[in-house]
Amino acid sequence: MSKPIFQVNNLNLFYGKVQALKSLNINIEERTVTALIGPSGCGKSTFLRTLNRMNDLIPECSISGLIHYKSLSLYDKKTDVIDVRKSIGMVFQKPNPFPMSIFDNIAFGPRCQGINQPKELQSIVEKALHDAALWDEVKDRLNTSALKLSGGQQQRLCIARALAMKPDVLLMDEPTSALDPLATNKIEELIATLKKDYTIVIVTHSMQQAARISDNTVFFLLGEIIEYGPTKEFFATPKDTRTENYITGRFG
Amino acid sequence: MNRKTLTKLTDMFWQTLTFLASSVSLFVLGAIVVYVFNTGWKLMNIDLIRYDYRSNTYIGEIVDIPEFCLCEPTLSLDEETFYSEKWGVALKNDEDVLGKNIVIVEYVHQNSPLNELVNKSSVGPRTFALLDGYVVRRIAFFGLPSALDLYGAETMIQMLDGVDQFRELELITQGGGIRGSIYTTLWLVGLTLMFALPIGVASAIYLNEFASKRSRITRYFRQFIELLTGVPSIVYGLMGLAFFVPLVSSLTEATGPSLISGSLTLAVIVLPVIIRTTEESLRVIPDEYRQASYALGATKMQTVTKVILPSAFPGILSATLLAIGRIVGESAALIFAIGVIIRDEISIFGQSTSLAVHIYAMLTDEPANIELSATISIIIIAIVLVMNFLIKIATRNFAKKSFEGGLI
Repeated sequence: MSKPIFQVNNLNLFYGKVQALKSLNINIEERTVTALIGPSGCGKSTFLRTLNRMNDLIPECSISGLIHYKSLSLYDKKTDVIDVRKSIGMVFQKPNPFPMSIFDNIAFGPRCQGINQPKELQSIVEKALHDAALWDEVKDRLNTSALKLSGGQQQRLCIARALAMKPDVLLMDEPTSALDPLATNKIEELIATLKKDYTIVIVTHSMQQAARISDNTVFFLLGEIIEYGPTKEFFATPKDTRTENYITGRFG
Repeated sequence: MNRKTLTKLTDMFWQTLTFLASSVSLFVLGAIVVYVFNTGWKLMNIDLIRYDYRSNTYIGEIVDIPEFCLCEPTLSLDEETFYSEKWGVALKNDEDVLGKNIVIVEYVHQNSPLNELVNKSSVGPRTFALLDGYVVRRIAFFGLPSALDLYGAETMIQMLDGVDQFRELELITQGGGIRGSIYTTLWLVGLTLMFALPIGVASAIYLNEFASKRSRITRYFRQFIELLTGVPSIVYGLMGLAFFVPLVSSLTEATGPSLISGSLTLAVIVLPVIIRTTEESLRVIPDEYRQASYALGATKMQTVTKVILPSAFPGILSATLLAIGRIVGESAALIFAIGVIIRDEISIFGQSTSLAVHIYAMLTDEPANIELSATISIIIIAIVLVMNFLIKIATRNFAKKSFEGGLI
């Protein structure tokens, strides 16, 4: 195992009085794809959102425990949430491009950081689109509305938008659940390329997808981590019976 | 009668009843519009803007050496009308309402030197143009007897043709224009929006983006705003008179009601409308936009200015248009806050009337001027109709543009 980029120690999360995550302990490795699987409502998306503090936006959400990103303690009072989200990008379930042009969508993040020179922005946008394997499809219409793209293209645009911030980590919350099989396939290929340079944590509903693209798999059930291990072993020889029941389709 | 027929009959009865109800509403509303148009349309004329409201006696002179027109009239004049090619003006004999003989201006050529006269009398503007409809009383010359109106139009034109310069021209302007009230209305719209729009939009942003959704204070605040939209405007007029009029008087050169205190009062009236409409448009912005923005490391303020506001722009636009409709149509509150004195020259620190208050002034006149009121009503109805039309276009384009990606 390579060195961990995230170290989670005894993480508990409450929505009001409901406990959504129960004493999680997990290390996530650098430059791997880690898949989070489990039935609906098991806390996998909630856990993903704790990794770049998107849960801050939900009122009545409280957290105890520690998450270290590299040497930075994410929930420390001194930690700037903007810095966290700059280096830990996120892609959502539904493609959510802004109602702006393709170019402006990708330049949004850099512009928020005060980058305004057209040349610099141009090169950032171009690189991000190349990295997200979208450049060839949109290079002639960077100024058209991003909403005119197909669903799959929109999702790759959202990935490009996250990449434009030059993050270390990409969090993906079921990025293909709203897409057709062909578009899904393209995103999966993209994930395989991206993992050379980025750490990817992906929530997925599809065990097949987890098996295809991930290096490590985490199985969540009712807010707890049941099993965590290299994907091949995980699916071939699950240690916990609940994992076995889940991956053989007995529930969930 | 079996049950089936009975059900059918009841059904038909209710159907007829609803049909009658809608016919009655259509008839009543239609009747108002027809009445207003029928009464007011004949006065609908460009002269409403050309003429001052009040009829004044002006004494005009030409200061420089006049450049003569020496031109043919551009329209055909009848035999009763006498035209001077030199001065480019046509006069005509007429009778005033009391049956007295008068001489009126029938036509002024566009190159006539009389289009720019300096006003020597103490009232009215410094310079003015001779317009058709004005009554000519007297033309005085240098070293020659004056041409008086009792000589008739023909003699006056002949005497005028015989000289190269005149000393002064006494005339009575045509009244009945509503230019001042139109300007006041435009000023009110501009100033009110200047006060109310920034505050209203900012409040809506605070309520929807920053304030805690569950906080009790926010909830009460919102309910309070809802309540304010239902308060009769005369109550706001009271506030304007009791608060804004003294405030503006003490801070500026205004003495008593003024355009400024009127627009401040109107700003309070339209504020709830702007807040509610803007908030409505903020609420339909998909949360995904906000999340995407935050996930890209944008601050709250950056999210608001770069994502939320552009998406809410059409909503803010319709808020603006609704507010304009309200401003144009408001009368009760303005009677006290801006006054009912009809003016031709507008000052923002002075009294004047908006179109709606102009109607009030016309109707309280003795006798009430129903026709001009109806004409002004047509103008107001037209403005409101155009506003509604623009709102529809703005919102439709918004729906098309933002959501064609299938986000909602």
